[in-house]
Amino acid sequence: MKALLFSDRPLVTAQMSSLLCDYFEIGFMAYSKDYESLKDFGAKEIIVINGEYSPAESLAREIVSYMKEYDYIFIGATVLGREVGAMAAAISGAEMKSEIIEFGIKDGKTTTKRLYYGGKTVLEEESNAKIFTVSQGLKETKKIESSPKKNEIELKTKSSVELGEKIQKATTSTDITKADIIVSIGRGLSKKEDLSIITDFASVMHAELAGSRPICADYHWLEEERQVGLSGKKVNPKLYIAIGISGQIQHIAGMRGSKTVIAINKDKSAPIFSECDYGIVGDLYSIVPKLTKILRG
Amino acid sequence: MGYNIIVCIKQIANDIEIDPQTREPVFSDTKYRLEDLSRNAVEEAVRIKEKYGGKVTGILFGTEQSTVVMKEAMAMGADEGIIVKGFKENSPDFTAKVLAERIKRIQYDIIIIGYASADSYTAQVPGALSILLGIPLLGSAIKTEIADNKVRITRESDDFDIVESASMPLLVSVTQEANEPRLPLLIQVMAAAKKPMSIEETALKYDGIDKIIGNKAPESGRKHIIYEDEGKGIEEIVKIIKGEIS
Ligand SMILES: Cc1cc2nc3c(=O)[nH]c(=O)nc-3n(C[C@H](O)[C@H](O)[C@H](O)COP(=O)(O)OP(=O)(O)OC[C@H]3O[C@@H](n4cnc5c(N)ncnc54)[C@H](O)[C@@H]3O)c2cc1C
Repeated sequence: MKALLFSDRPLVTAQMSSLLCDYFEIGFMAYSKDYESLKDFGAKEIIVINGEYSPAESLAREIVSYMKEYDYIFIGATVLGREVGAMAAAISGAEMKSEIIEFGIKDGKTTTKRLYYGGKTVLEEESNAKIFTVSQGLKETKKIESSPKKNEIELKTKSSVELGEKIQKATTSTDITKADIIVSIGRGLSKKEDLSIITDFASVMHAELAGSRPICADYHWLEEERQVGLSGKKVNPKLYIAIGISGQIQHIAGMRGSKTVIAINKDKSAPIFSECDYGIVGDLYSIVPKLTKILRG
Repeated sequence: MGYNIIVCIKQIANDIEIDPQTREPVFSDTKYRLEDLSRNAVEEAVRIKEKYGGKVTGILFGTEQSTVVMKEAMAMGADEGIIVKGFKENSPDFTAKVLAERIKRIQYDIIIIGYASADSYTAQVPGALSILLGIPLLGSAIKTEIADNKVRITRESDDFDIVESASMPLLVSVTQEANEPRLPLLIQVMAAAKKPMSIEETALKYDGIDKIIGNKAPESGRKHIIYEDEGKGIEEIVKIIKGEIS
């Protein structure tokens, strides 16, 4: 059976490929700018879209036109990918499962897992779904020797959405899903200037920095790739230190895989304390500099 | 003058208890509230009305318990409410079909909806709705403006933000960064009681056939050792950290 994989982030396409290559003969759909970086990830064919960004509907209609050749469609769960998947499902009438974290096939049916109730539970389903969006960062990418057939195309459907100015955001090449130690910061930090307290602490432990959604997506004190949670990255470090993070379920959804969790929060009743191994109730502005000093030795 | 604005609303359980034995969610006595991103959607709809004039109609695919949820949206400024009963959990494609079928019978210029919901987080409804209604989707908006019958948004996406625009009628999905939803005053909560609300059953038949194998909370297994004494806490935490980094 054949599966077509698409993501506007090539890293996610490669991750999906290593998740799925045992089940399917793989094809990619990718933007021309990403073609080179995707050549060695196991695809038999790469459908190359001329360009670097397009409205969801044009992509969805293009993908649906390949559903005769491909049995299954997998789309990276990015902001764009989720819309493309939803539209492709509505156009084709095929069933869709979104934001999956596990995939399997049994007797012609697919079995999938996804987070539910904001991440409180894991929903495991058996379905006839043909279209899936796949959670980012699920699998390590692995190089697979292949010489894909290159198939260059132009998107056939013009969307009624007009694209305007692109505003580049600060990005990082750091992949927090690979980190051993993560220091994660939330709104307990009162201003951006105080971030040095946290970066000093992280650097004595050679830890990666991460944050809650408000810190990354709203205030932009950290790059968005560092956001942990339901709508961010799912991480599984040896040690996760949550500082000034309340521990709402949508955040917990991203850090459950951590081996050991330490929490620092001034509110004794903060939900993070029911999701940690060790916790200190107190002011981060007092506690964190002391920890840094002792660890620096 | 002004615009006919529809806002799609979802309800969400206030809190879901997990049975410690079975690890499954328990639904006795569950209370429902306006879902988080639906709150942002209502706020955006009401702001558009306040700035450009018009009327906001809330539409909620829900259950018996939905009137309190619609009242929350009305207290924030929605003028009218339509509740369609027959909601099925975990069936975003069905939700989109029901909403599309109902919305087709209303005159509208702009529909506002949350990008995804805080509980199921499928993000499927906006995309499906735009296809079913045959209108453009301006998705993941953090800023929405209208000029000359065109809507222009700033779209928040993974690696960059981008300005996108389209002509009305259209659909806009908003993220939680779009606005800070207002807390209604008591007088607004009281006024909401008098606003018109209709309740109907959906005529569409649900044909979901998926098998749910399980829906359980993962084992937590955390130690929960909490220090309220800062000095003692620091001492112990340093030991743990040293153990991990050595
Ligand atoms: C659809 C959806 C998706 C979402 N996805 C995500 C996601 O992926 N990731 C995510 O993080 N969130 C996500 N959220 C948001 C989530 O629900 C919470 O709003 C968010 O995680 C809260 O961030 P926070 O803990 O930093 O802030 P707050 O909840 O405001 O918590 C701040 C904490 O800091 C503590 N504090 C304050 N001052 C100090 C001090 N001096 N010292 C110590 N502690 C202090 C407070 O006691 C409080 O507990 C999502 C929400 C929705 C609706």
